Amino acid sequence: MAGKSGRSINNVPESSIKRMIFSWEGILILIFIAVNIFCAMFSEFYNVSSLLRQMPVYLAEVFLMLPMAYILVLGEIDISVGSIVCLSATVCCIVCNMNAPFIVVVLTGLLVGTACGAVNGFILTKFTELPPMIVTLATQIIFRGIAEITLGSGGSITMSNLDGFNAIGGKVGQVPYILFLVVILAVVFAIILGKSTFGRRVYAIGTNRLTAYYSGVHVQKIRMIIYTVMGTVSGLCAIFLLSSSFGANTTTGNGFEMDAIAMAVFGGISSTGGKGNIAGGVIAAFIIVCLRVGLGQQNVHAQVILLIIGVLLIAAVALPNIIGQVRRAVKTK
Amino acid sequence: MNKKVISALLCGAMVLGAATPVLAEGAGDGQKIALVGKSAGNAFFEIAAASFKETVEAEGGKVEVVYPETATADAQIKVLDNLISQDFDAICIAANDVNALQAKLTEAMDAGIKVSSFDSAPNKDSRQVFVNQAGTVAVGQALMDAVLDIAGGEGQFAILSATSQAANQNAWINAMKKIMEEDDKYSKMELVEVAYGDDEPQKSTDQTAALLQNYPDLKVICAPTTVGIAAAAKYLQDNESACKLTGLGLPSEMLEYTGDDDAHSCPYFYLWDMQGLGKLSAYTTMSLVKGDITGALDESFTAGDLGDFTITEADDGGTEIVLGEPLQFTPENIEEYAELY
Amino acid sequence: MEKKSFIKKLTGSREALLAAVLLVLFIVVTIINPSFLTVKSLMDMLKNNAVTMVMALGMLCVMLVGGIDISIMSTLALSGMSIGMLLKNDVIASTPLAFLIAIAIGICCGLAVGLVISRADVPPIIATMGFMYVFRAMGYLVSNGGQWAGAAALGDFKKFATTKFLGINCVIWVVILCYAFFFWFMKWTRTGRMIYAVGSNPSAAQVSGINVKNIKLLVYVIMGLLSGLGGALQVSVYASAMPDMQYGGEMDVIAACVIGGVSMSGGRGSVLGALLGSLILATIAKALPLIPFFDQLWLNTIKGVIILVVVVMNVVLQRIADKNALKGREM
Repeated sequence: MAGKSGRSINNVPESSIKRMIFSWEGILILIFIAVNIFCAMFSEFYNVSSLLRQMPVYLAEVFLMLPMAYILVLGEIDISVGSIVCLSATVCCIVCNMNAPFIVVVLTGLLVGTACGAVNGFILTKFTELPPMIVTLATQIIFRGIAEITLGSGGSITMSNLDGFNAIGGKVGQVPYILFLVVILAVVFAIILGKSTFGRRVYAIGTNRLTAYYSGVHVQKIRMIIYTVMGTVSGLCAIFLLSSSFGANTTTGNGFEMDAIAMAVFGGISSTGGKGNIAGGVIAAFIIVCLRVGLGQQNVHAQVILLIIGVLLIAAVALPNIIGQVRRAVKTK
Repeated sequence: MNKKVISALLCGAMVLGAATPVLAEGAGDGQKIALVGKSAGNAFFEIAAASFKETVEAEGGKVEVVYPETATADAQIKVLDNLISQDFDAICIAANDVNALQAKLTEAMDAGIKVSSFDSAPNKDSRQVFVNQAGTVAVGQALMDAVLDIAGGEGQFAILSATSQAANQNAWINAMKKIMEEDDKYSKMELVEVAYGDDEPQKSTDQTAALLQNYPDLKVICAPTTVGIAAAAKYLQDNESACKLTGLGLPSEMLEYTGDDDAHSCPYFYLWDMQGLGKLSAYTTMSLVKGDITGALDESFTAGDLGDFTITEADDGGTEIVLGEPLQFTPENIEEYAELY
Repeated sequence: MEKKSFIKKLTGSREALLAAVLLVLFIVVTIINPSFLTVKSLMDMLKNNAVTMVMALGMLCVMLVGGIDISIMSTLALSGMSIGMLLKNDVIASTPLAFLIAIAIGICCGLAVGLVISRADVPPIIATMGFMYVFRAMGYLVSNGGQWAGAAALGDFKKFATTKFLGINCVIWVVILCYAFFFWFMKWTRTGRMIYAVGSNPSAAQVSGINVKNIKLLVYVIMGLLSGLGGALQVSVYASAMPDMQYGGEMDVIAACVIGGVSMSGGRGSVLGALLGSLILATIAKALPLIPFFDQLWLNTIKGVIILVVVVMNVVLQRIADKNALKGREM
């Protein structure tokens, strides 16, 4: 899809402060502030400590948004991540129950995730004609299916040794460890995407795959790396999810892919490829988290919350486009 | 460029606009109890929730019925996080998974919130007491007797369950298997297969058709799940199959299919008193908050006009309160119950 | 000579390959369990997959212009739930009226999706993801806090799915009529050809005087219409309306199209392909419970593997076909 429109690379960061404020990220920060003011007025329980306490569960999903942003910039999509989370969480629990040291459990989780991601990457790079959506749809069913088989008829597993998971679920003061990790990873992913050659190449592929290929970019190698990393991060997500659920079941991670994609897209990362950056995605992720916590604290019906997020998602992409069209129309007059 | 700022403000305004109508009213006096469902849009749960709410409000308390986004434990964890942030006295939950809620429910109990559960229980460490709709063995016995009766004492039967992971269904199926082994009168019954329809009408229909194709002599299908029994009843009735059906279902869903003659696929089926379940759960939760009970074995309390109840040991080693025997719905009484649920 | 060109034609056409795959599936399943290949069993299969099959046609149109729609099952739930509640509360009783209302609701949903995509240039996956949440939530709101419309509440409406006309169930007639109409529509009408034109090359289509925006709007309206129809069929076939019906089912429809050779980047795909794709999926769903070797736990994994194998095989065979075509040119 991306190749056809022949869009130019227009994401070169501008240094001017004015530009920064009026960029999509600037607007997102305004929305973030607005959402927080709104939530604080809406819910008497909404404050920094309740937010920090409730955040870890959501932050596990923010992990997924980071590599998902790369995949979206490529102009592709990965809908198997929720199932990868499920499979690695399941295997983690099994290994943990074999009395393995915690580090082994963590490595297993990451390894399973990486392997699943590599499977996606392998199929997609071997059969480049296949659309990523359909391949990851098939692997979504398969990975969750394997988890179902592993879990057996109980469909649920709990861990016997919780020490390690309690440790990573810990806090410095009120700030959970996972928040630090999210920030660190976000910075790393942002620098690689925004400043490195690798990142430039990702944008190049997303903007025009064929041109990128002819100018010497190893398109398939880069895709393979990104899908594999997506798997690794899904494994990481699984480990942190376990620190708040102490067990896995067949529905673990269900729908995470959509949450991750929604965060990225709301953050201005175009699903048609070549556009957007991590900073926008991270701010958008926190907007969604704050909104969910704030509305949830007043027990707003879950479907109404989803409705609001759906409207926000459409509006976030539609409004700038409509305004642009109106401006152009006015100019030509 | 200013237009972009306007767009941002518009977004913010829209959020405000969309959310204001659902602003919750201020907290009242008395107990504040949260009732957590498995997922939104479950008629089965709604009936119990309505009667739960009524009972608590009659005592001057306040109930907030909350649903997770999807029928998963992950989503329920987020709901529980939200509830712990608020000032609830108690949480009564129908758990989507046995184990996954342990961390959050323990956190809630540590924060002084009483935790009871009904319909489907979280594990014994994550609750104070479970209100069981009907004893597992009693349900298994009722279903097994129904199968024996409908089959006429001998022949093949199959079970159409929800998912292979559904804890309630698995417990009932295991109870049925055990009863069948232990008593000689079931020796001529043969359980040919346990099929899973995932609680989707489409898949349940496929599974029912496959059962009939694989076992032409099948006499009875037992579906201990409300979606499965309705889908199977429709398939059997539309195809005028000689195979009959029983299980656990909602009277309003099964009204069309229940009858003694050949034109109906289901002679009779079971469920429990959903309103009673809501009521008993409400009284149990309120007693926990008042401190009348702690959820320990052999404690007893009075549940309004339902009478006295004693806490007994549950199959998983925790404690439970059993509502009573399953209710039988026959062609005679189904119309009356179909009005209710 | 003639024979060779026939083989060439066979390997060169996606549809022929798919038909072969379907045939192999049929043969294998029948060998394992002969009861699969009976008229009744096949009719059951068609009736039970009618919703997916009808909606695959809409998805075909959407994918032909390079779009995608993941909001369809929410539209289905909204329209199905709406008529379910109308019938339950005795507001309407007539079956045709119920179908019309469901279709009208579907068209409105499709119009909203289409306008956002064609006029505000929102990428289809994002727009439909948003609407997926919005319509599903509206379905819940219509259900008035989780009420169901069971068989007894639906009155005569559910009889539509049990009535037979010329020995074939009415639901299957709907599927046949839809496919016949779309076969004609996509192949022989100007609008149908315009959809292909827009999908193959939007700029060229624009230059040659096609209103690309309106065509894009049209395909989502068609998709909405068929989703509304799907909602009515779903309620009728299963005699029950629930707000969470077909949750996640959009992926089956998309998979049916992709297996049927419809390209996700637009311009390629046919009605026959969509038919074969959805039939392959329907066969898998129908056949898996009939095969005694597998534990029930394995069903999902096997379904996933089959989808993967079919799409990969499609690519491999296509590559061979392309190679053969090149060989011909060299000579």
